[in-house]
Amino acid sequence: MAEVQRHWWRWVLGFAILLVVATAPAWLLLESEQRTLASVFMFVVLAQGWNLIGGFAGYPSFGNVVFFGLGGYTTAVLMVKAGAGFWITLPAAAVVGVGFAALMGIPILRLRGHYFAVATLGVAEGMREVVINTGGLTGGNRGLTIPAVGADATTSYPGNTGFYYLFLVLALGAMVLVWGVARSRFGYALRAISQDEDAAAAAGINTTRAKIAAFALAGLLTSLAGAIYAFQQVSIYPDRLFSVDITVLMVVMAVFGGAGTVIGPMVGAVILQYLSEWLRDNLTDYHTFVFGGIIVLAVLVMPMGLVNFTRDAWKQRRISLLAATRKYRL
Amino acid sequence: MTEFLQATVYGLLDGGLLALFAIGFSLVWGVMNIVNLAHGALVVTGAYVAWKLNTAMGLDPYLGMFVAAAALFAGGYLVQRLLINQVVNAPIWMTLLLTFGLDLLIVNGLILLFSADFRSIRSGIGSNSLALGDVRVPYERLAGFGIAVAVTLLLVWFMNHTRTGLAIRTTGMDRAAARLMGVSVRHVYALTFGIAAALAGMAGAVLGTINTFSPASAPQFTLQSFVIAVLGGLGNMWGALAGGIMLGLVQAWGGQYLSGTLINAIAFGVLVLVLIVKPSGLVGRPFYEARAEA
Amino acid sequence: MRDLRYAFVALIVLGVALVTAAGCGRADSGGGSSGVKGGKLKIGAALSLTGSLAKEGALTKQGYQLCQQKVNDRGGVKVGDKKAKLAISYSDDKSEPDTAARLIDNFNDDGTKLILGPYGSPSTEAAAATIERNGQLMADSSGADDNIFTKGYKNTFAVLSPATDYVATIVKSIAQDAKPKPTTVAMLSADDGFSQTAAKGGVAEAKKQGMKVIAQESFPEHTTDVSSALTKVRGKHPDVILGSVHVEEGIAIVKQSRELNVKPMGFGETVAPPTPDFKAALGESANGVLGSTQWVAQVKGSDPIFGTAKDYARDFEKRFGTAAEYHSAEGAAACLALVLAVEKAGSADPKKVRDAMAGLDTPSFFGPIKFNDRGQNVSKPMSVIQIQNGDVTTIYPKEQAQAKLDWPGTGG
Repeated sequence: MAEVQRHWWRWVLGFAILLVVATAPAWLLLESEQRTLASVFMFVVLAQGWNLIGGFAGYPSFGNVVFFGLGGYTTAVLMVKAGAGFWITLPAAAVVGVGFAALMGIPILRLRGHYFAVATLGVAEGMREVVINTGGLTGGNRGLTIPAVGADATTSYPGNTGFYYLFLVLALGAMVLVWGVARSRFGYALRAISQDEDAAAAAGINTTRAKIAAFALAGLLTSLAGAIYAFQQVSIYPDRLFSVDITVLMVVMAVFGGAGTVIGPMVGAVILQYLSEWLRDNLTDYHTFVFGGIIVLAVLVMPMGLVNFTRDAWKQRRISLLAATRKYRL
Repeated sequence: MTEFLQATVYGLLDGGLLALFAIGFSLVWGVMNIVNLAHGALVVTGAYVAWKLNTAMGLDPYLGMFVAAAALFAGGYLVQRLLINQVVNAPIWMTLLLTFGLDLLIVNGLILLFSADFRSIRSGIGSNSLALGDVRVPYERLAGFGIAVAVTLLLVWFMNHTRTGLAIRTTGMDRAAARLMGVSVRHVYALTFGIAAALAGMAGAVLGTINTFSPASAPQFTLQSFVIAVLGGLGNMWGALAGGIMLGLVQAWGGQYLSGTLINAIAFGVLVLVLIVKPSGLVGRPFYEARAEA
Repeated sequence: MRDLRYAFVALIVLGVALVTAAGCGRADSGGGSSGVKGGKLKIGAALSLTGSLAKEGALTKQGYQLCQQKVNDRGGVKVGDKKAKLAISYSDDKSEPDTAARLIDNFNDDGTKLILGPYGSPSTEAAAATIERNGQLMADSSGADDNIFTKGYKNTFAVLSPATDYVATIVKSIAQDAKPKPTTVAMLSADDGFSQTAAKGGVAEAKKQGMKVIAQESFPEHTTDVSSALTKVRGKHPDVILGSVHVEEGIAIVKQSRELNVKPMGFGETVAPPTPDFKAALGESANGVLGSTQWVAQVKGSDPIFGTAKDYARDFEKRFGTAAEYHSAEGAAACLALVLAVEKAGSADPKKVRDAMAGLDTPSFFGPIKFNDRGQNVSKPMSVIQIQNGDVTTIYPKEQAQAKLDWPGTGG
């Protein structure tokens, strides 16, 4: 409670923002803006999912998109082939995501550093190929189209506003989850693993269980996002649902904002998604080029992420870039 | 039997080319613990340098590849010295992010400069092949393979018998010790990246004679380098060659006896399997094993 | 060095501030349902200007641009009794279907109801679903996959021939003109949806023409190594090797056939041979290869905006300095269909334009434009070309042919 009193203005601010965000579709946002924001929320979820395994536990997964794709395909296959309603597919997607994370985590979480990164990448790419080659179930490269209009539709299409709220709720859930993890024993265990795994084990932390739990939570968030995304898109393709770009984006967003912090991934997702939208609208030919330049600059100037950077600057009452960067320089 | 032999020939020759992509990638990873996501972009840049020299001045790609190597060496040295060295000690995902940004810059820069058209370089050899009974050995691929083997030999010699090479190896094994012995780590890192970029550029030029390329091909080369570097063991030159050849063979045989669309699935399956079973790579004991990778 | 870093920060802060500003200060949106404002008819186009389809996207954009120029040169689009200047606004979908769909929503909020299609079947399919929900209208310039047209969408019209025609047309031309007539065919195909559909159409047509399909092989899209497929086919000695492919796989088939000494009577490779890249990469070996295309400069028919196909080719070269090819012609034709439908409807109201579009039946530089009840332009024949002495030469159908089929066509 003391916490609440000391930081009362944060809570007020938080609720004010939440109130605006929750009611915005009614009075502030056009349909297309709701759609853009829905994708921002989606990336908040993905970045937070990565944050759990990459930021807290320090295992740089480069294949989180595999959960996204599996979640999306679970929903799509159930809706198309089994005629299931959308809401029933959500828990199914979650089960698939968590289950796959746990199964894959057992052998792969033994690897460290770049080896872990490459293994996860391999699993994601391999899974895409599996989906492509099981055309009977997944439609292969021709994709799957979820019936969204007319008599075939098992669940009526929620429209842009509907998906805005779906992704909003999921993003809030992700924020609360990560917030909870950050201040729990489990969170401290993950941080300990990220600092020095052997020391953590020696201190009595069951590192294997903690890592798998973190990976499974990442799988949960990511597969749910994939499930909603699949319905939103109507037509899905393996190339898109298992795209390395999606993994890269979630890593970039989490790291840009500040990996291992609670609000960093959210800040990163919001800023980068808006930045890339804005660049695309204003620099038709050059936007990806400029985006690349901005990432390079951001890494050089604030390698510890925007949130930590701002916090340090605030504490020291001066924007000192040199001090922050110096410790990573050769 | 002919089919098997033919597939083997292609797998072997392709593997050599793949190895040429991957040696530099593996070197950078092994020595500096940096996964260079822009590696594929460097390969494509090399291909464009050779292509431009060929179309504008009629320079044969087998000479153009040296120009590409020199240009990329200079570029790579500067990139490491000015950019990557600034964050070498940050958590590994920072260098991933930095090289990802570089990849976007290079690939989109190439699109702006050269458009996204598919190009290929016409070498003097042409698409003829040596007939060994029913089995054909295409000359261009044979040349690519020869270059890959020669470069590997040269690099092994360089690493084992020159001061610079030894400095690179020492730095890769123990940076602090290397520094105490008077090695300028900044310079050595930049040299290493320069060499890797030069090899990528050379590989790109050779690739341009064999296959078509466009800026959009870059991610695929990065991925293949990933697989090979892991198969072969990090920083191990022979390992990269062996890993490349193995990947080439597995893909060729897989394409022959399973469905052709499964080629990529096979490659990634092998990768994950190797990582789980023997993460230090398939070939011998990599000389960087001494350093804990964490 | 320190100053430099401060400059970096300043840059980033500036960027963030700009973004925020852009988010808040959005342009006045909405507008009447007529779609004509200030003497301008606004049309939206979401195109792949970056990403893996950047090249084709850029070509399609040229077609749209030429269309705008030609329409405005003659005073604009006649909407009822007024003339409105055509104003196409472009957005980049980064070659991503979900972005394409999002951009369609952007246009909708803008009050832009008339849409020119993105590039490629996946993006077009994603856009078509959104178009349908929003009650917009789309003239599709490049989404040929039948997938798009089996869903009962009412508001998407494709000016181009369906995917099933791409290989089938080549088979027809060979069956009609080749002497000696080939009896066996091997079908090689990339594994993407469009190529698979085209391959299926080709296999069906080959059987109909009495040829035997002795092998069917697939490989991953964008691969540059098709040697395993060719090795498998080699022992069966097919008379014709058909490839349902893109440029890079098409080049690989011809190049590696030569390496592997695979010598059929001819190659037929859908969209690869008409592109300049094909010839540039293969040189002599390109000779004799057949390809199919949505448009050639020999197409018969003319329309009030572009004139004949020859006029179109001339104007295109004048504006862009490169030879006209089919992607841009598809774009121009889609734009033409939309403009003609608006003029016919006398209104820019999407419902009225939709009905006018459905009833469209007109000759054009692109060939006949007339839609079936799914929205596909099945009346238009595709053209078959062959590379003869290094030139792309039209050989089929007869009324467009510049030369006879050179057979056996194995070049070099």
